[in-house]
Amino acid sequence: MIVRVHPASGVPLYLQIEAQVKQAIAAQAVREDDPLPPVRKLATELRVNPNTVARAYQNLERDGIIRTVQGGGCYVNGGAPRLLKPEKIRRLKPLAAQLAVEARQLMLPREDTLRLLDDSIKELERQP
Amino acid sequence: MSDLAIETHALTKHYGNLAALERVNLHIERGSVYGFLGRNGAGKTTAIRILAGLARPTAGSAHILGIEAGPDRIAILQRTGFVIDKMLLPYMTGRELLRFNRGFYPAWSDTQAKRYADALEIPMDRKFRKLSHGNKTKLCLLLALAQNPELLVLDEPTAGLDPVVTDQLLRILVEDFANDGRTILMSSHHLSEVEKIADWVGILDHGHLLLEARLDDIRDRYRRIRVAGEHAPANSPEILTTSASEGVTEYVLCAGEEKFVADLRNNGATVLEVLPMNLSEIFLELAGKENRNVPVETVA
Repeated sequence: MIVRVHPASGVPLYLQIEAQVKQAIAAQAVREDDPLPPVRKLATELRVNPNTVARAYQNLERDGIIRTVQGGGCYVNGGAPRLLKPEKIRRLKPLAAQLAVEARQLMLPREDTLRLLDDSIKELERQP
Repeated sequence: MSDLAIETHALTKHYGNLAALERVNLHIERGSVYGFLGRNGAGKTTAIRILAGLARPTAGSAHILGIEAGPDRIAILQRTGFVIDKMLLPYMTGRELLRFNRGFYPAWSDTQAKRYADALEIPMDRKFRKLSHGNKTKLCLLLALAQNPELLVLDEPTAGLDPVVTDQLLRILVEDFANDGRTILMSSHHLSEVEKIADWVGILDHGHLLLEARLDDIRDRYRRIRVAGEHAPANSPEILTTSASEGVTEYVLCAGEEKFVADLRNNGATVLEVLPMNLSEIFLELAGKENRNVPVETVA
């Protein structure tokens, strides 16, 4: 798994690391029970503060995406993240808002916008 | 034992009429990497020189590793690696300087010294005065790192270093110091570098500490908000700056984004964008010359 961070983007680095681990799991670059690089090793590779990496891992663990084994590093969990529906909705809301704003600015009709989203979901479901 | 590696209390330094530092309270936690930012002449080096016992404060106090700066200088120097003036004995070579320095420091490591000299690519057999500016800086860094100290205080450590050596230095700082829970205070003008390695930042301007906070908290809170119209009404103590032009009003907010945006929408304003800000943008808002609390009317 290759992680890259972009300090100039303004997005907190721990969020960037979290997002990339999630992407790597979604793209099956790392699979269930695969180990993640240890905090210190990843921090050294990225030249970032180890607390930043630790915070990303803690958040991923809290969301049930990875698990920490006492003294033995972090591993990828299988299955869907253990989040309650309101929390899932809270996280996706900004993305939905952004889609709505862009669509309004381009004056794309409501039905087309909804169809666009629907198509994207179907496309993901088609993948094995 | 205090969990602060460095603490200053109302630290003040006047040079004649010039106030280099004005009641500065720094809090640098043990195990943190603290980015000390400010423009030229903001007072960073003055503060660092006081920590090293090279200057006396006009008022206030500074404690390093629980020891008061000034009277007990030796005890501090034994446990802290300082890189400040980048000046060493001019007629000695790197190798001689290592031999000269090692006896002063209880935790000195010859193995690490060798590793760092290789990683930073320092010509060890040339006299200090014959070295280029970058190589002089590297040699000063080498002596501080080889001390194997629990605290590093570095004044612009990467100034004059090429990108490859800078990267090697950052690697050493993360791998051997930050990973090990040791504390680093570093001043720098390279904000993208600070943004990666630091977990705390302090911004100094004209001798005043404008901001001291965890970097993640700053990034979570500061937002640039763009609103349609040049006369969008907004009032909040959290607005840092406001500017308007070409049909758009832009607010820089230091906290409370959600409520601010909700209030704007309730007042019928169209919020175009809410953007995160990187450290360099935040720095320019705080210490820059433009947009300093300029009311909308005069800018429009």
